[in-house]
Amino acid sequence: MAIRCVVVTPERTEIDREASYVTLPMYDGELGVAAGRAPLIGRLGYGLLKLQTETGTQQLFIDGGFAQVENDVVSVLTSRAIPAEQIDAAAAERSLSEALAMPGNTPELRYIRDAAQLRARGQLRAARAPH
Amino acid sequence: MANARSLDKRRKSIRNIRKITRTMELIATARYRKAMDRAAAATAYTDRITQIVSRLAAAGAEVEHPLLEPREETRAATLLVLTSNRGLCGGYNSSVLRIANPRLQTLRESIPNVRLEVSGKRGIGSFKFRGINVDTSYTQFEDQPSYADVEQIANRYLEQFVTGQIDRLDVAYTRFISTSKQEAVVETLLPLGNLESAADEANGAGPGGSATVDYEFHPSAVSVLEEVVPTSFKIRLFKCFLDAAVSEQVARMVAMKSATENAGEIIKQLSMTYNRARQAQITGEIMEIIGGVEALAN
Repeated sequence: MAIRCVVVTPERTEIDREASYVTLPMYDGELGVAAGRAPLIGRLGYGLLKLQTETGTQQLFIDGGFAQVENDVVSVLTSRAIPAEQIDAAAAERSLSEALAMPGNTPELRYIRDAAQLRARGQLRAARAPH
Repeated sequence: MANARSLDKRRKSIRNIRKITRTMELIATARYRKAMDRAAAATAYTDRITQIVSRLAAAGAEVEHPLLEPREETRAATLLVLTSNRGLCGGYNSSVLRIANPRLQTLRESIPNVRLEVSGKRGIGSFKFRGINVDTSYTQFEDQPSYADVEQIANRYLEQFVTGQIDRLDVAYTRFISTSKQEAVVETLLPLGNLESAADEANGAGPGGSATVDYEFHPSAVSVLEEVVPTSFKIRLFKCFLDAAVSEQVARMVAMKSATENAGEIIKQLSMTYNRARQAQITGEIMEIIGGVEALAN
């Protein structure tokens, strides 16, 4: 039994295809979704979305957002979805050092800084992961 | 009656203008289609966000977020005006500016610190002409505003709002209602107000249906909601940019269509005048020849 995986960004529908197994990069780690999973709404982190399909594994870097699972349809809403091969490790390192240098002297600023760091780290991890 | 040659010259130049306006009309039509496709893609995204919001509401999550709450005292506000980079699009820019200017004035009267941000060369030029200082200007948004660019601006607003640097954000832009109707509006995007009505307004009623399904929220409904609110602000701002882009192309299409039609009419009139002038000239020449012949015969 296959599940349908739909990745939507505000600019276009990035992916709409069948997969046998989907790994979602949740905010606190990976979550595997197989056919017949109970309905779920979750918050995504910054990391790789992996689709196991008949033709092999497809990997995409997901830039936060939400995932919704219902009736074997996995909808991923994110601001950006970049194919794993196209992630720029150098740019990710640059944004990480920028994020590390951000001020954190009020709770709000610290929250913003932490989000930026998480994002840069996720991107870096995705860039270094074997694909 | 003007002489035939100068009339012919004018007619030729108007023909050239007609060629240009017709080409511009065709280009605007093509761009309008592309912009519409993008707007449709964005709608697919907002639909799903709306769906998630309605699921959250069905699960009994309290819709409360700092971005939704109006501030007790508004000390600083920002007005963002979306205009086009290029002209030749009829009343598109002037109608946005006509609505943005009074809003700017009322904001300045009641709020001590008002920043003005303008996107598009036309708007920047107009404010410069009026001697109004523009704090930040953007010219990178053409007929296909990219989400990455808009998100950057949106993130900055969110940051400023959360840290209390601004208490209110207004956006003046042209809302696209249909191909035959667009209207210039000023919307308050921050504080966001009601989340659901905001989403509903953007795309009609969201796909409701199976709201009875029990969802597992990961990590919790509240946490998901915390993330949904900033996202829906970003998408609303993006929608504003998309609407502005689509409306600009429609305005240009209409303006160029009527320019082409006008050129056709002028050519018609000029042709008539030209033919008359030519005939008058020929008649004059014949009269001269006949006069000459008669003079010789005598």
